[in-house]
Amino acid sequence: MSTIRYRFGAEGDLTAPSDDRLTVGDPRVIDFLGKLARKLLVPAVARRHPELGSLGFFLRPAELHRVVKHMQHEDALVFPRGNVFHVPPANVDTIFVYSWALSALAGNHNVVRISERSATAADTILGALNEVLAESDPIIGRTQRMVTYGRDDAITGALSKWADVRVIWGGDNTVEAIRKHPLRPSARDLTFPDRTSWAALSADGWRAADPAQKRAAVLGFTNDAYWFDQAACSSPRTVFLVGTDTSDVREEFIELLIEVSGQRGWEIDAAMAVEKRVNAYGLAATGAISSMEFPANSVTAMSLITVPDAPRHWIGAGAFPFAEVGSLLDLVPAMNRQDQTFSHFGFSAEQLREFGLALGGRGVDRIVPFGQALTFGSLWDGYDLPREFTRLTTLSV
Amino acid sequence: MSVFTLPQAAKEEVLLKELSALVEHHREKCEPYERILAASGYTPADSIAGLPWLPVRLFKNLELKSIPDDEIYKVLTSSGTTGEVSKIYLDKESAAEQTRRLGATVQSVLGPKRLPMILVDTKAMLKDRKSFSARGAGVLGMSNFGRNHVWALDNEGHVDLPALKEFLEKYGDEPFLIFGFTYLVWLHLYEVARDNGLDLSNGILIHSGGWKKLIDQAVSPEEFRARLAGVGLTNVHNYYGMIEQIGTVFLEGKSGGSLYAPDFADIVIRNPQTWAEQPVGEPGLIEVISTLPTSYPGHIILTEDLGVVHGIDDGDWPGKRFSVLGRLPRAEARGCSDTYREAA
Repeated sequence: MSTIRYRFGAEGDLTAPSDDRLTVGDPRVIDFLGKLARKLLVPAVARRHPELGSLGFFLRPAELHRVVKHMQHEDALVFPRGNVFHVPPANVDTIFVYSWALSALAGNHNVVRISERSATAADTILGALNEVLAESDPIIGRTQRMVTYGRDDAITGALSKWADVRVIWGGDNTVEAIRKHPLRPSARDLTFPDRTSWAALSADGWRAADPAQKRAAVLGFTNDAYWFDQAACSSPRTVFLVGTDTSDVREEFIELLIEVSGQRGWEIDAAMAVEKRVNAYGLAATGAISSMEFPANSVTAMSLITVPDAPRHWIGAGAFPFAEVGSLLDLVPAMNRQDQTFSHFGFSAEQLREFGLALGGRGVDRIVPFGQALTFGSLWDGYDLPREFTRLTTLSV
Repeated sequence: MSVFTLPQAAKEEVLLKELSALVEHHREKCEPYERILAASGYTPADSIAGLPWLPVRLFKNLELKSIPDDEIYKVLTSSGTTGEVSKIYLDKESAAEQTRRLGATVQSVLGPKRLPMILVDTKAMLKDRKSFSARGAGVLGMSNFGRNHVWALDNEGHVDLPALKEFLEKYGDEPFLIFGFTYLVWLHLYEVARDNGLDLSNGILIHSGGWKKLIDQAVSPEEFRARLAGVGLTNVHNYYGMIEQIGTVFLEGKSGGSLYAPDFADIVIRNPQTWAEQPVGEPGLIEVISTLPTSYPGHIILTEDLGVVHGIDDGDWPGKRFSVLGRLPRAEARGCSDTYREAA
């Protein structure tokens, strides 16, 4: 066995039986998470790592109580699932806290495997977690553990056998690799495989918007796209221009995008610029796009020949294929299970609802306005996470 | 006969014509290439720097060839760091032409006769299929320009001192050729020559393979040259080339420090922000240009190497003189489908 580095919680056998019991919405957990939220919302932290500010907001007591209320069930008694083993992604450094916090709030015993490649924001969070631990009920440290270990089938295998729920983030390859380790018959996986996310712009809505609205939309879109180098599962890549003769909309949108991404200081270095050239040229060579423009290193714009040609893999930061469609409904056949977030601007609630219903659950888990693509919620990837982390006992008298 | 003869202006005039014709040739014969040019709005260029380039990595991701399948004579492969492999398609004519031009280039410093030759490598490497493609092809290709070869390393990779001594006894009084990868020359030839007093003063060294391993040991190109001169080896030529432009090498001039393009090739240094050509002295990405690739569209390639032009028509040979500064790091995604492979 490789060595286990204990990053949070009590050291020692991770899979040993425990007499500690937490309840759904356990006050000791709420107290802990509330203190953590306060640490993350300290202006100095939130300035340095804005994503920790969003996390702190998600963990504030009012929100926690709302989630706990949502866990309750009219027709059943609600309990924790038991043991939960989390395998979060390496590079989106806040995801592990969201999935762990919801599971802890449900009263589960958790082991979170933190990647060896985790980034600086993860270290900041772990620092905050440990500070709060010192002033919290000791049951937290005994039941909530975060560890780092190298590739080690024995440890992963043991934790998989221990778990009642296993949470696997990090895409198809990780899901497949982790699934080689059997679970107990009663246990199950929550998997977060590779996803594709899209953006749609209503040409009519855009033309009707005033300059401030357009700017706000582009600012939101810029955050969605550039935050994780356009590589998060929720980052929009292809932009669908919905309407007719949309070239004026596209031109104005790209112009604003260059301006706003420049002002926001999203920098595209030479390596990323080359990466984008490689991908754009590749799409041109295979006949997926009919034109490519490189107006600035921050923005690569491409014209898709058909909607199904829209790439479903990462093509670099600030790389945007565009395609024009007559209506949102025209996109329905192209959407599939892999599709996660569909961010939009300029549509009516009616149009969006019609689109959502037409999808029929065959694809797209989230339909959100520009600027909210990356905002984590407890309903994620089609799961109601608080419910997934609880079990129900029915009681008829 | 030297192939380093044309001043920059004259070279550009010749090359612009030939390369523009090559662009048309590849557009006609290679559909993916034509699509790329069409998508980027290609119009004929009036300067070398205005000609359309392909990123070198495309040869790893795509099958790019301008010959029908039944004319493929050889497929060259390079092993990349992440297991991606470039595939370079040659027909019989282009295979012969690249050998001929490579010969003409090295003969510019070796003279027309084949010289006795030390290969600073091990014969065993040829049998190792995994490392063969890049290193083996280089050694084998270069071995054509010598005779009475001796391998400086035995099958275990240790220096074969008796073989070297015997070679020098027989041929050490006349010009002889030494070829090897830069770090192998440093590790295995330089140190052994110094410690055993081998006389390499009639040797002409041709070496390549990047400086990274040496820079890790804090050996600069200047120090490499100075230390080799210490064991009598003053005739030293580094070269820069890649499998994607096989047959074309950019050779170091006799005073050292700068590389030059043969008459049928050139380089452009590009600013990675504006993509325009950099002025002399400003580093950027190296674009390599050659009229040799006719069977695949590798005539103008943007590498992921950084370089700088030091001067034009002011060195050992006419044309641009430049250095390679290192490699551009590979961009990495930091998203949530960035799987961690240590997962399992």
